[in-house]
Amino acid sequence: MEMALLGLAAALAIGLTALATAWAQGRIGPAAAASLVEKPELWTTAVILIAIPETMVILGFVVAVLILLRAGAGG
Amino acid sequence: MIVRMVRVRIAGPRSLLDRTLAVLQDVGVLHVDRPRLSDASRPDSTLIRRRHHVERCLSDVEAALDRLQLSVDPAAAANPPAVPSAPAAVRRARRVRRKAEALALAMSSLEEERSLLLRYREFFQVFEALTQQELTWPDGQAFYVVLRAGSGSALTELRRRLEDAVGGEIELLHRALSSGEWAVLILASAGAASRVSALLVASRVEELPAPPGIGEKNLLRSLPAIKSRLAQILRALRALDLDRRTLAQKEGDWLFRHRAFLRDQLLQLDARARVFTAEYLFVIEGWLPAPRLADLEQRVRSAIGSQVVVSAIGTEDWTAGTTPVAFDNPPLFRPFEVLTRMLPLPKYGTMDPTPFVAIFFPAFFGLMLGDVGYGLMLAVLAALLRLKSEPGSTLRSVSTVALACSSSAIAFGVFFGECFGNFGATIGLHPIFNREEATIPFLGLSVAIGVVHILLGLVLASLTAWRRGHRREAVGRSLALSMLILTGLSLLAALEVLPRGLFTPMVVATLVAFTVLVALEGVVALVDLLSTFGHILSYARIMALGTASLMMAIVANEMIGAMGSVVIGAVFALLFHLVNFALGLFSPTIHALRLHYVEFFGQFFSPGGAEYRPLGHWHPPASSQSQLNRA
Repeated sequence: MEMALLGLAAALAIGLTALATAWAQGRIGPAAAASLVEKPELWTTAVILIAIPETMVILGFVVAVLILLRAGAGG
Repeated sequence: MIVRMVRVRIAGPRSLLDRTLAVLQDVGVLHVDRPRLSDASRPDSTLIRRRHHVERCLSDVEAALDRLQLSVDPAAAANPPAVPSAPAAVRRARRVRRKAEALALAMSSLEEERSLLLRYREFFQVFEALTQQELTWPDGQAFYVVLRAGSGSALTELRRRLEDAVGGEIELLHRALSSGEWAVLILASAGAASRVSALLVASRVEELPAPPGIGEKNLLRSLPAIKSRLAQILRALRALDLDRRTLAQKEGDWLFRHRAFLRDQLLQLDARARVFTAEYLFVIEGWLPAPRLADLEQRVRSAIGSQVVVSAIGTEDWTAGTTPVAFDNPPLFRPFEVLTRMLPLPKYGTMDPTPFVAIFFPAFFGLMLGDVGYGLMLAVLAALLRLKSEPGSTLRSVSTVALACSSSAIAFGVFFGECFGNFGATIGLHPIFNREEATIPFLGLSVAIGVVHILLGLVLASLTAWRRGHRREAVGRSLALSMLILTGLSLLAALEVLPRGLFTPMVVATLVAFTVLVALEGVVALVDLLSTFGHILSYARIMALGTASLMMAIVANEMIGAMGSVVIGAVFALLFHLVNFALGLFSPTIHALRLHYVEFFGQFFSPGGAEYRPLGHWHPPASSQSQLNRA
């Protein structure tokens, strides 16, 4: 049971952060694309802005890995 | 590093201004700036008129080059431009432009007619057999109609209506065209022609207009006329093309040289607009790299003499805010300027981050990709890019950066024992650090790298602030740096890596440093500190992306055994490795850049510097003799 809960926790850690990242990038992407049409020189800023929300899923991934490692150690 | 600049003042008799500017243009090191004199910005109507005149002449030259299809410059910059007699050159430029435009216009009109006739040709060719037959109504009229593809019922309906209207006074012939459309030819007697025309209009059947320039509406005679006209057009086009090539051959070199001359004139006029002139003297001020000052003085003295004086202005008389910025990095680091130039230039007096980017960017990339196989694939791509690029171009810099990244990926691949994932073990690679199993140590390594990188950023911030005279900021950054170190040491003491007895003194020292920091910088210091810790944690992405890339490669390798057939499995594995390689190029690049631009540069980078643009000769975007030779 505990293993299943740990698995669910890992899935939630990566799944929810992935959804959050997708939502944020889905909002930033079109805005960045629209800005680039008018000011192509802003592309570095656009790339950075799009990459910033990825921190959430990356940290989610790290947390998921830590949970799974704990589950592995516990099992 | 940012080149040390010196501000100079060049003064002399006004009669020598043009000569001085010409010498400065030849030397090509002075970034001309407006002198800080009361009426230095007074607009000069003579200059404005001269500028318009040069621009008009340049427009003639560039239009002629465009019409003669000579867009690539044949090393005009290598030859000094001929100094022409201005009125004669203007007349010549205009004459060549008119000739070139007349040729281009005639060619374009003939091309247009030719493409139109070619559209007609297929229509008439399907009825070509009829040209051998006797006409039923020699004085009659032919109507040409094209019906859309799949309109067979419309054709039957058209025939029925025409027969109802004019009885047996028409002949309707139809053939299928290669496009699927129907070519319909209606031959009507002279008496029935008007009724047929009215019926076509009423039925909204659009008649194909008679071919222009043929002067022949009769089918039997128009096809030979079209063929003959097409042949005529081809001959005329060849003749015009020959004229164009002759004109390009005769005038091309002069046009290129004259363009270079006019562009140089425009650059000189731009500089001239920033020169202070009084009735008898001129004053030019500007910036140049400090090591070039002696050379400039010597060149001006030898070309003009002692009447024009070059003197350096003391640093106390100018502020760093307006000083232009130029980089001078060792050849090994120079290609990485392509990454720092993606952001605005740093202010003069601050730090050029290029050397740090040159060290850390490939390292981060290698840590994330860390695979001998993928590294070798990237090295091949980088080598191809290097072969395709010209020395000094952006592409060449990108290829060098890619080569550095591939070397780093290969080195870390050996360190991690990875070649296309865990395939490395099969070919005898033994990991020194197995990141597949040592996930937590890899996370620790990533965060530790983050600590080092951010600490370095804070050191640079402190140094920059100190050099620019912002002592309070420098102390604040140093305190933030100390707090990070003390926090790290406290953690190590708490974890008993360091003696446990150090824990309390470290915590006390951290709290003292924090109090002083808040006193110096206010509540903002707290926010800054928290974001700095966030930035350090952000380096966990090195581990996350590295592990994800490794897992994808392992999944690709497992496909070989999982598909039933080894061949199909190998194909899928290959495809999956290609996808992973593409992701492995993109993600580590973006995230290594982000770690630099957001986390590292955020500590010390001050954007807003002006680019160093010395007055020099104009250079064409690309040089090649080939096009002129072809013309």
